[in-house]
Amino acid sequence: MEKIRTVIIEDEAPAREIIKYYLKDLDYIEVIADCADGFSGLKTISTMKPDLVFLDIQMPRLTGIELLEVLTEKPEIIFTTAYDQFAIRAFELNAVDYLLKPFPKRRFLEAVKKATDKIRTGTGNKEPVSQLLAKMPEPASPVNRIVVRKGNAINLIPVEQIKYVEAQDDYVMVYHSGGKALKQQTMKFYEENLPKTDFVRIHRSYIVKVTELKRIEPYGKDTHVAILQSGDKLPVSRAGYKHLKEELNF
Amino acid sequence: MKHPVLANRVRLIVWWLVWLFMTLGQLLLYYYAYGRFTTTAIPDGIISLIIYSGIGLSLWYPFRYFNATSSRTTAVITNLVVSGAVAVTLWVLINKYFVLLILPKVNDYQAYWEATFPYRIGTGVFIYGLIVLAYYLFISLYNLSEKNAKEAKLESLVKETELKMLRSQINPHFLFNSLNSVSSLTITDPEKARDMVIKLSEFMRYALSKKDEQPVSLRSELENLRLYLDIEKVRFGDKLSTEENIEEKCLETKMPVMLLQPLYENAIKHGVYESTESVRIITQAKIIDGYIEITICNNYDPAPSLRRGTGTGLINVARRLELFYGNKASIKTTKENGIYTVNLYIPTDFL
Repeated sequence: MEKIRTVIIEDEAPAREIIKYYLKDLDYIEVIADCADGFSGLKTISTMKPDLVFLDIQMPRLTGIELLEVLTEKPEIIFTTAYDQFAIRAFELNAVDYLLKPFPKRRFLEAVKKATDKIRTGTGNKEPVSQLLAKMPEPASPVNRIVVRKGNAINLIPVEQIKYVEAQDDYVMVYHSGGKALKQQTMKFYEENLPKTDFVRIHRSYIVKVTELKRIEPYGKDTHVAILQSGDKLPVSRAGYKHLKEELNF
Repeated sequence: MKHPVLANRVRLIVWWLVWLFMTLGQLLLYYYAYGRFTTTAIPDGIISLIIYSGIGLSLWYPFRYFNATSSRTTAVITNLVVSGAVAVTLWVLINKYFVLLILPKVNDYQAYWEATFPYRIGTGVFIYGLIVLAYYLFISLYNLSEKNAKEAKLESLVKETELKMLRSQINPHFLFNSLNSVSSLTITDPEKARDMVIKLSEFMRYALSKKDEQPVSLRSELENLRLYLDIEKVRFGDKLSTEENIEEKCLETKMPVMLLQPLYENAIKHGVYESTESVRIITQAKIIDGYIEITICNNYDPAPSLRRGTGTGLINVARRLELFYGNKASIKTTKENGIYTVNLYIPTDFL
C-alpha cells in the first residue's frame, strides 16, 4: 500500500520533533517535509500535494487559519495548537482532528488513525472553507490583513488598502488599491472582522470604507447611491443609509 | 457607637472638670439669688454636681436612640424637649431630697432652695442644652469620620483589586507551548528537559508567589525575565537572542513586581511569533537625574499581522505605573526602521 505523505507545519523546533518522534514507528507514514512558517507551508502543500498535514495555528507570516483559506486542494488537516479554544470549537467539524499541546502519544495515534481511515477510504472532508469560517466566533480584535491567492501568488492585503467588499454568491470580491481579489468568505465575516470604525455595511451586498465615500445621492424612492472617490457607484439600502447616518453623524 | 465620655479616660476627666467649673458658677449665681452666703450651699453644690453629672452621662443613651430611630426634625425636637423636662425636674427634686436626707438639721435649706428655684430651673435647662450640643456634635463628627474611613477603605480596596487585575497573568499560550517543548525534549534531550522544567517552575513561582504588591528590585525582575527568555529560547532556538546592557547602580531600584514582563511578552508576540528572521531583544538600564531609564527594543517584521494587537499589555503597564508612582513615572514607545522600542522612566528613590 502507498505511504501517506505527510507535512509538518509548525514554527517551534521541539514541537516538530515530538510529532516526528511519534510518527517514527508508523511505517505507513512518510514525512516528506517540515516547515517553520505559514508561507513556506503553503508553498510546500501546493507543490508537493501531501495527503496529511499537521498544522499549527499561531505562526509567522501566515497563520494556519489563513493558510487553510487560500488552499485550493485540501489535504487532511490535523491541527496542533496550544490554547486556541475558540479555534478548536470552530474547527472541530472540519479538520480530521485537533491536538492540544502537549498531547500524549495515545491521543496522537488516535488522530493519525482517523486521518488514515479517511485517506484510505477517500471520504475526505470537503466542507467549503466559507462555512468553516462562518463558525468562527467573534474575535477580540478586528483583522489587520487578508490573504488572497492570485494564480500561484499569495498576497497579503493590509486592511487599510481595502476600498470595498462586494458579495458574489458564495464568494466575496475584495476591491483594494492594488486591484480586486475573490475570496471564499461570507459578508458576515467581513462585517464582524473589519474595523467597525472604518467600514460600514451600506447594502446587503456591500461593505465600504468610510474614507472612500465621496458623496451620497438619493436614488429612486427610499434608496440612495454612494459615489466613491474612484467614481464607482454602489447602491445604499434603507438600512445601509441608517448605518451611514449613525457612523457619519449627519 | 460607644459612650463618648465613659469609653475614654481623658474625656471623663475633662467631663468632671467641666462639671466642677459649672458648679462654681452655680454657687456664685445662687449666692447672688439668696443674697448671702450659707454653709448649705457647699453640700448642695456637690450633690447637685454628682446628680446632674450622672443624669448627663445617662442622657447619652436616649439621645443615641432618638438619633438612630427618628429622622424627622420635629420628632427629634419633641423627644429632646420631653427628656430635657424630665432631666431638669428630676435633678432639682432629687437634689433637694438628697440634701435633706444627708443634712436633715440644716434649717435654712428650704428657704435657700425656694429662693434659688427659678435659677435652678434656668441652670438645669442651660446645662441640658450644653449636653445636647456636645453629644450631637460628637455624633456628627463620629458619623463623618466613619464615612471617611469607609470611603478610604473602599478606595484602597478598589486600588488593590485593580492592581491585582493589572498584574500580568501568565499567558496560557506560553505555558502550554513550553510544556509541549518539555514533552518533546524528554525524548531528544532529557537533560535540557529537566533544565527547562526547573526554569519554568522558578518563573511560575516568581509570578505566582508574589501575591501582594511588594516592590522588588530591578535585579530580581531581570533574573526572572532571563528565565522567561531562556524558556522562549528553547522554543524558538536561534530565532531569539538577547542582549543586556545594565548599569550596576540601577540594579537595586525598586519597582512593582512583574512590571516588565508584559513588555517582553509583547516583544516575543509581535517580534518572534510574527517573524521568520531572528529577533534580538536588547535591554538597557541607566540612571539619569534620579530616574532610571529602562529601554527594551527588538526588531520586528513590518508586514501586517493577522489581527491588530489590543494594546492591553502596554495599557496595563502604564496604568500600574500611574497607580504606583502617580505622574512621576512614564512609558513611551517608538517604531522606527523595523525596530520597536519601549522606554520606561521610573524614579529611583520612590519606593
